[in-house]
Amino acid sequence: MPIVALSDASLTLWRGDDVLSFIDGLSTNRVAELSKGQLIRTVFTDSNAKIIDCLTLFHMGDFIVAAGHLPVLDKLLNHTSKKILGQDVEITDISQRNDLFIEFDCENKANEIDTFSSQGEITRGNIASNYSILVASKGNGPSSSDDFTEFNQWRITNKVPWNGYEITNSFHPFACGLEELVHQQKGCYIGQEILARMRSRGRQGKVLSQVETMSCKPANITTKGDIQSLAIIRS
Amino acid sequence: MDCGTCDTVSPVQMVTPEIIDVALTISESAKNMLSEAFGDDRSHALLVGVLSGGCSGYMYDLQIVETTEQDCQEIAVDGFRVLVPKASSHLLDGIEIDYVEKLMGGGFKINNPNAESACGCGESFS
Repeated sequence: MPIVALSDASLTLWRGDDVLSFIDGLSTNRVAELSKGQLIRTVFTDSNAKIIDCLTLFHMGDFIVAAGHLPVLDKLLNHTSKKILGQDVEITDISQRNDLFIEFDCENKANEIDTFSSQGEITRGNIASNYSILVASKGNGPSSSDDFTEFNQWRITNKVPWNGYEITNSFHPFACGLEELVHQQKGCYIGQEILARMRSRGRQGKVLSQVETMSCKPANITTKGDIQSLAIIRS
Repeated sequence: MDCGTCDTVSPVQMVTPEIIDVALTISESAKNMLSEAFGDDRSHALLVGVLSGGCSGYMYDLQIVETTEQDCQEIAVDGFRVLVPKASSHLLDGIEIDYVEKLMGGGFKINNPNAESACGCGESFS
């Protein structure tokens, strides 16, 4: 299966007794019950419900490892670190010690989704039925491509949003196709009131769509393909 | 994956808020409720803390405790012991602890001059 290297991914280690409740209180998905060997994605949003970062969390047993987007890591750390008051939470940036990859167009079994396993230096987390995230210690990753062209084409075909393309601070999670990461029953977090209102009123504004490249306004295109593209447009 | 746990990798430098001496007041209605709750036993204290979370980022955490493991400032207000964790002192200086009756029952309410905004349910602030 094709593997693409993520040159702009961040990796942080979150340690402490209060880590899961801390992340749960600040992000869109219910992560408090995450257990060892499981993986979950969640979105940190600001007070306008716009995305700060979308993290993939690996429960490693004694700590949580979070894969995110390097260009927004400082913003995420600034957002979260101010909220650590009396809680037992410590964050370490281990981005420079690891390489991250995406294996796509694969066929993960249903019971393997949202789990991860490690083999040698490589940890493989199965995000969905058709793609996985790979984390390897620096220089020990699988052979991969740096060219995003094929990956982006696959994303367009499968309508998969990505960091820096659709997943940006310009949009809320509903607009960029991350609605499954917004838990409906969990309690409050920053941005929750806005998202809950959108959902209850059935008005989500713009949504992620596959469009014909030639017939879509260029400003709305987020990932451009030759024939089809991804765009965030009014539904 | 290299988790950096085998050798020393420094944690990200956190924003450490300044610890300040908290001044706070308790409204008459809150004093009445505290008197009812404590009775003559003043060995207990009202712990007023702040946790992360809620729609606006911070949530108040009120507890009646005898002791706490949190590093707190102890403030005496009209005979009541109030404990304020030092870690959240910057968010609680100047507050008024009030008690309000609502249709769904009464409850303590914090009037906080440091809060720029509060969520609809009044449970959290930023």
